[in-house]
Amino acid sequence: MSLPHTPSTPRRFVVVGAGPAGLTAAYELAQAGEPPVVLEKGAMVGGLARTESYRGFHFDMGGHRFFTKVPEVDAFWRTVLGDEFLRRPRLSRIYYEGRFFDYPLRPTNALAGLGAWQSVLVGLSYLRWQIAPYRQEDTFEQWVTNRFGRRLFRTFFKSYTEKVWGVSCSELKAEWAAQRIKDLSLWTAVRSMFLRPQHTIKTLIEEFDYPRLGPGMMWNAVRAEVVRLGGSVETDHEVVAIERDGNRVTRIVTRGASTNGTPRTHAGTDFISSMPITELVARLEPPAPDAVRAAARQLSHRAFVTVCLIVDQPDLFPDNWIYIHDPAVQVGRIQNFKNWSPAMVPDATKTSLGLEYFCNQGDPLWNMPDDELVALARKEIAHVGLARPEDVVDGCVVRVADAYPVYDSSYREHLDVVRAYVDGLANLQTIGRNGLHRYNNQDHAMVTGMLAVKNALHGEHHDLWSVNTDQEYHEEIREPAVDALEDALARAFGKLDRTGFGLAVGAVVGMLIFLATLVLVLRGGPVVGPHLALLSQYFPGYRVTLGGSVIGLAYGCVAGFVMGWTFALVRNATTFVSAVALRRNADTGPFSRFLDSI
Amino acid sequence: MASDDVRVRILRLDATAQAISTGVLAGLGIFVATNWLVLKGGPVVGPNLALLAQFCPGYSVTFGGSLIGFAYGFVYGGAAGYAVSWIYNRFVQTRRG
Repeated sequence: MSLPHTPSTPRRFVVVGAGPAGLTAAYELAQAGEPPVVLEKGAMVGGLARTESYRGFHFDMGGHRFFTKVPEVDAFWRTVLGDEFLRRPRLSRIYYEGRFFDYPLRPTNALAGLGAWQSVLVGLSYLRWQIAPYRQEDTFEQWVTNRFGRRLFRTFFKSYTEKVWGVSCSELKAEWAAQRIKDLSLWTAVRSMFLRPQHTIKTLIEEFDYPRLGPGMMWNAVRAEVVRLGGSVETDHEVVAIERDGNRVTRIVTRGASTNGTPRTHAGTDFISSMPITELVARLEPPAPDAVRAAARQLSHRAFVTVCLIVDQPDLFPDNWIYIHDPAVQVGRIQNFKNWSPAMVPDATKTSLGLEYFCNQGDPLWNMPDDELVALARKEIAHVGLARPEDVVDGCVVRVADAYPVYDSSYREHLDVVRAYVDGLANLQTIGRNGLHRYNNQDHAMVTGMLAVKNALHGEHHDLWSVNTDQEYHEEIREPAVDALEDALARAFGKLDRTGFGLAVGAVVGMLIFLATLVLVLRGGPVVGPHLALLSQYFPGYRVTLGGSVIGLAYGCVAGFVMGWTFALVRNATTFVSAVALRRNADTGPFSRFLDSI
Repeated sequence: MASDDVRVRILRLDATAQAISTGVLAGLGIFVATNWLVLKGGPVVGPNLALLAQFCPGYSVTFGGSLIGFAYGFVYGGAAGYAVSWIYNRFVQTRRG
């Protein structure tokens, strides 16, 4: 993928896309003395992590917490923004059927919100799916149900997920869940009961870093640095053609408002693209093979519309964001930008909200006029009880296309075709969420940009497609004691394999009856083993004879298996209940000590 | 399912610990049962429990026999506990890799 470097050939890098991936690549290139040309379709930089502004209010498109497990990314952020980061407390909740639930879910809070009867049903449902889970986890619905039970899936996962993706959870690939919420299981919840964040794990559950003026502040600063180092960042430059000569890209043609629609060409020796790979394939000249273009057309993206509301109230609610699971409204998530950073709001007497509506480009919601969208948002914010409609004094609309690559049932097959072709273009690398059609977060998108530059400049061979596939997606910083404690907890709360334990007990019981019978047969006597022979009351056909010993062996194996299997089942269930009880005790402990302080 | 899930979720049994605990339990069971009958007394003490002697030579329903019975119970129980753990662990290892 990287260009073989010929010292006599001056290199000229062209980067398509000025989002986190593209600008990171540009920054790294500029730092290495190879300032690139960056071509951005939109009017501003930052891509999906841009910050929009309206009358002095700043709006983050999606809400971007700055947290990463990748040291290089963290160092990048600190270098670029330094003291401009704020450490913010996190609060997010779920709105469902007129009630708010803490998110991340806390068992006591969730059960209290659901009520006693629903809680019992949730517990039974969980046990049922632990005992007999789906054997295959192909879909999101199966993946979540196996971990949380059907009832919790319906309550806390189904409606929101279907709002985001616009398809049934039974059609959404499990891969998305595995990537996004890896290691989120009831086991993780049990473990977290013992690992208090303040002592052992610092997690984004508690707090996060955020640029004072939103994520766009980061990318504006990166743009300025790229330009300072000799590069250029051209906004309003939509790629209309990617010209190639065989398997090498030679030029990129752009068009946009900044050139009054006149095409401009950008020749280069190395190309790095974060534009949607679907569009990249469609704009190749000469065109890519029909099969590749057809495969690319099958890949799709989900979009969203953010309706920004300015509310004449200083404080509306304490959350950074709220997930709206309630199917009675169309809004999927509500951001309260003032709680991300007070500087996002120019007037402290007002609050700015972002109501996010997930949709497809071109569907009725996407095409709805701005004033109607603002009216819809005003109505729905009142419906969920977060603001009064008469307090909404202004609003605007921002449409975000190509926000989420869709992992439908056939995307992998089509992506493999596209990838095989694009990988064959010798001097082009694709990066970022849309360049790789992979649901990466900002930090992993940046990593792909960094690695692409290493491939190009140093001849390294990083597989950009594997970023975030073999790395754990944990919002945690692990400390040394955690692993040891995890091992101890694994021993304490591990599950017995029911089949294994049943077989083991069955084998031993069967062997005991077999040997006991043989001992008595060998000892002989006028009446052989009259007492052991009473076993025939439970095991018809059993006798204290040589043949009876074999029958006894078979009976013992079966009876022992049932006993062992049942014991393991009860033991596993008891362990789970114990863990839940421990959690309850941990929650109520501080409250009981509160009475001592009066 | 991730391999890490298997590592943390499926329990492996400590065969030695299992053998000792099962052995002590079985041994104590015989010890207590024997002495219970000894203390109750009567013309014939524990004729049914005495049948254990068929599998435990030297055992009798007396205080001395209760000590011998404890030893037999410990050995037999320990062997059974160890065997259950060993078979279980082999099964889990084979099944889960």
